[in-house]
Amino acid sequence: MDETQLLVHFTPLDWMWTVLFILLMTLCGIIFYNLGKKSESDFFLAGRGLPWWLPAASVYATHTATDTPMWIAGVIYKWGLRGIWYSFFAAWTALSAFISTRIFRRSMAMSQAEWQSLRYSGLGAELLRGWLAGWQTFMNMFVVAWVSAAMGKVCLYLFGWPPWFGVTFFTTICAVYVLTAGYWGVIMADFQQGVIAFVVITLVSVWGIAEAGGPLMIVHKLTALGQGWRIDPFHFDGFWGLDADHFYTMDFITLLVMATIGGIGMGNFIDWYPEAQRIQSAKTVRDASYAIWAGGFATIFRNAFWAVSILAFFVMFPGIHAEGQYEMGWFRLGFEYLPAGLLGMFFAGIIAIHLSTISSHLNLGALYATRDLYHHYVNPEASERTLVKVGRINTVFLLAGSFLLGLFMQSITSWLIFALWLQAAGIWVPSILQVVWWRFNSWAYLSSWIANLVMSWLVVWVLPAVGVLPELPNWANFWLLVVLVALVYVPVTFLTEPDERPHLVKYYVMARPLGFWGPVRRDAVRLGLVTPSGDLKLETGR
Amino acid sequence: MSLFKRDWTPIEAEEWTSHDLVASILSILTFFLATIGIAGALLLQTWGWVALVLSMVCMVLMFKIIDPKLRAISTDFEKKEAKYLAEIDRVTRWEAGDER
Repeated sequence: MDETQLLVHFTPLDWMWTVLFILLMTLCGIIFYNLGKKSESDFFLAGRGLPWWLPAASVYATHTATDTPMWIAGVIYKWGLRGIWYSFFAAWTALSAFISTRIFRRSMAMSQAEWQSLRYSGLGAELLRGWLAGWQTFMNMFVVAWVSAAMGKVCLYLFGWPPWFGVTFFTTICAVYVLTAGYWGVIMADFQQGVIAFVVITLVSVWGIAEAGGPLMIVHKLTALGQGWRIDPFHFDGFWGLDADHFYTMDFITLLVMATIGGIGMGNFIDWYPEAQRIQSAKTVRDASYAIWAGGFATIFRNAFWAVSILAFFVMFPGIHAEGQYEMGWFRLGFEYLPAGLLGMFFAGIIAIHLSTISSHLNLGALYATRDLYHHYVNPEASERTLVKVGRINTVFLLAGSFLLGLFMQSITSWLIFALWLQAAGIWVPSILQVVWWRFNSWAYLSSWIANLVMSWLVVWVLPAVGVLPELPNWANFWLLVVLVALVYVPVTFLTEPDERPHLVKYYVMARPLGFWGPVRRDAVRLGLVTPSGDLKLETGR
Repeated sequence: MSLFKRDWTPIEAEEWTSHDLVASILSILTFFLATIGIAGALLLQTWGWVALVLSMVCMVLMFKIIDPKLRAISTDFEKKEAKYLAEIDRVTRWEAGDER
């Protein structure tokens, strides 16, 4: 058998599941068309009135993409159960739910770019908003591209379809309900897709574990293969070192610290940006907190199922060396071992996984292009009708761009480790500082972004390629970038003026941030907006 | 202040307190223990079941501590957010003008 193709055979029952699911998804667009066209807030935030479980399902569904089982298979097959710590970055939601989510929901910003202009003032804030909006428009196109590339890979693997077809076909179907119903279509489809994906992931993973002989047989076979260490999530190759082919305790500590403490900040991870949209679409602060927490927890639950099923795959197919092949492990468990009839359900589940991510990022990219670029800079007086129309045009623009990018992407795991945390390493601390420290200003944050973009590519790709720097393990890359970027933004912070005090006071009273806000708080007290004990005067009527 | 305080006033709930800190720590522990707990339990390992049970205990404690506070924050904030915006705008505009 060709290792890059499986060529499954679908029965009519299998095709029926697939077609039914696609029809169900496109119906979402028609059903919610009237809600989505009412206003910009409806098209992008579903009117800020959702109960916690809807955005929670969307958080889970959005972060369950076609590429996710590939990269989790990639890290678990390579590292054993300790590889699960790579997927632990989802735990940023554990802390965020009670800190940054609360602060962001109170700010009322429609997007993270808009939040920048609430938190900061003057030209720096405007530049930052424009920068983040442009960057996020591109990044969402990029995410759609790599997820579509993963779908192209799955379709080639299963049916022998040409990659361009897999990349474009299902993503185009998704665009139908995103274009018609906006975020209403996204959130309602995400709920269905989240449930379907959860059931299918659990089913296929348990099926795979059973096919390997059950849990105890997996442990027994791993021991017999001399690979018993693979079930130990704390089996590390020493405390620290610089060999990129080792998994050190420092890797574990770095992943743990980065994920958990990162939850205090805003914008540390690319995941924050879609979550910001879900936070603002929740009807209360409490709903927003629980949406983020539950979505993150469901993701952790899912990761564990995937991880164990990949251990099952390992004992059945040990000794695969090509990353591009073993990262297809979970798909192989489903398509090689599920009976006819269930195959179609599995494929419908994969489509659900794919569409849920695509829809969110298409709508989110359009939000940044519409709200933060068009509405803010080009046409501030635009009517709600115009804004919805521009939102749709931007969705088409993102879709077309993603197709072009998607056809060039090959390996999923390496791209994701880079994009998920290495590319965010330099802005990890600044993203926390902007939440907890009043003196951290727009120029400092802007400089950290620019420095990080340049340095992340240099440190991770360019300098090792030309032999100036050795290829470092991920933990060393992360901390090196943290330090290098700090060398830029720390001096910038102290060499530039703080943001305007009235602007900071307004932000403080509205968002009530955590941390070092003493001077701003004292001004808020002096203005009568906050009483010395901390309570808002407006609340008490005093 | 009791860790399991149930009757928060909106004014008290606005402040960052030890409840937020304890809930945050319990939340992280829940995620951490669930990560290894679910995987270990699926492999029928004793350490997995222990971690999973501890994870659930942390989760229940977390909700008992933070939920009353979140309810108080939400009820009050959603009721008055429009008023906040208008009032804060008015006062900060006046303050900015005064400084010039």
